[in-house]
Amino acid sequence: MNLLTAFQNIFAPPRDLILVVLAAWIGLTLSERRAQRNHVNLDSLSNLMLVSLIIYIIGGRVLYALENLAIFLQSPTSIFSLNTALFDQWGGLVIAITVAVVYGRRIHLPLWLSLDALSPLFATVAVGIAFSHLASGEAFGRETNVPWAIEQWGALRHPTQIYEIIASLLILVLVLIQKHTNSPGYKFIFFVAVTSASRLVIEGFRGDSTLIFGGLRAAQIAAWLILLIALIGLDYKKSLEHEIE
Amino acid sequence: MQLILRRSLYAIILLAGLVWIFASADKNNSATAGRIPAPQKGFLAPEFKLETSDGQSIALSDYRGKAVLINLWATWCPPCRAEMPTIEKVYQEYQSQGLIVLGVNSTAQDDPSAIAPFVSQYNITFPILLDVSGEASNLYELRSLPTSFFIGRDGVIKEVVVGGPMSEALLRTNIAEIIK
Repeated sequence: MNLLTAFQNIFAPPRDLILVVLAAWIGLTLSERRAQRNHVNLDSLSNLMLVSLIIYIIGGRVLYALENLAIFLQSPTSIFSLNTALFDQWGGLVIAITVAVVYGRRIHLPLWLSLDALSPLFATVAVGIAFSHLASGEAFGRETNVPWAIEQWGALRHPTQIYEIIASLLILVLVLIQKHTNSPGYKFIFFVAVTSASRLVIEGFRGDSTLIFGGLRAAQIAAWLILLIALIGLDYKKSLEHEIE
Repeated sequence: MQLILRRSLYAIILLAGLVWIFASADKNNSATAGRIPAPQKGFLAPEFKLETSDGQSIALSDYRGKAVLINLWATWCPPCRAEMPTIEKVYQEYQSQGLIVLGVNSTAQDDPSAIAPFVSQYNITFPILLDVSGEASNLYELRSLPTSFFIGRDGVIKEVVVGGPMSEALLRTNIAEIIK
């Protein structure tokens, strides 16, 4: 049994979620340190994270139930099921972000400084997700003959989960070593830019992409658009920084 | 000067991104396409042939064109016991619409004498296959019990649920997808 197989056996789904939770715990510690440096109120930031997490869980489940209303009316107790598959991830995320923005304003948290403080958390969670992909075999690569290909799902494939781990670790290091800037929000936008760039590159090696318009990968187009917005944001923040200087 | 350099760099990054999007496009729509047998969503369900406790031989290919739920289980596994009545309930409801349930007992890691009392205790009416050698468990890369595979009429795996017990809503949403 090689190391990869041993890792996949230990963290086979649903145990792969342990990796994400562990990453979130480490990320929270790193973000708390940055929050102190940014003079962001730690208690308020912790409350914001807790509220967002609860809203994400409840919102994701309620949205899923509404999308499958006829089925949930047949078995209403399923709303309390521990099955993580009964969940609208993107819907839950949109609701959680909306609530976080509104709640953050209410408790007077500075938006950009808070996002800067939370960047290490987001970057660490991305590392956890990458490891969970390796454990579950999700986000697998397309078939290839490159010497570093791995045997997965009946073929030799690009080890996209390993690419993802390497990229997310590099991004985490870049986020952690960033120097203090006079421009609040710069660190967060930088994180968004490098994350979308990494997704844009790695998605091209994936074997499970959603394809549109004659074979274009939907996630790559979304990543490119986010990268465009992030670069405009970085440029704007840099210009502001120069004006302040 | 610094501004021009920065904006040029951003433009190059975006241009390189666009080139990569078109260069890495999957024009043959061959990313997974359900051609290869593998125990993963989007792939062809691996073929197996097993016997029931009364010696009847059943192959997965016998049910090509039907929606199939493969449930890998063992008598000693508490979540398997917990989800069995729900599986039986939805099987009764959906079998007229073409749903087949194959309960694959992981006999290689179970007590064979406990299987018949288990089936009778839960009034299971769908076929129970005995994976004595672990052939199906290996083919489906079984790592946790129970594990369920929802297979569409085209023989492609539409969803994999690892662990349990599955709630009724989870079973119904996945069955609704495969009996289309």
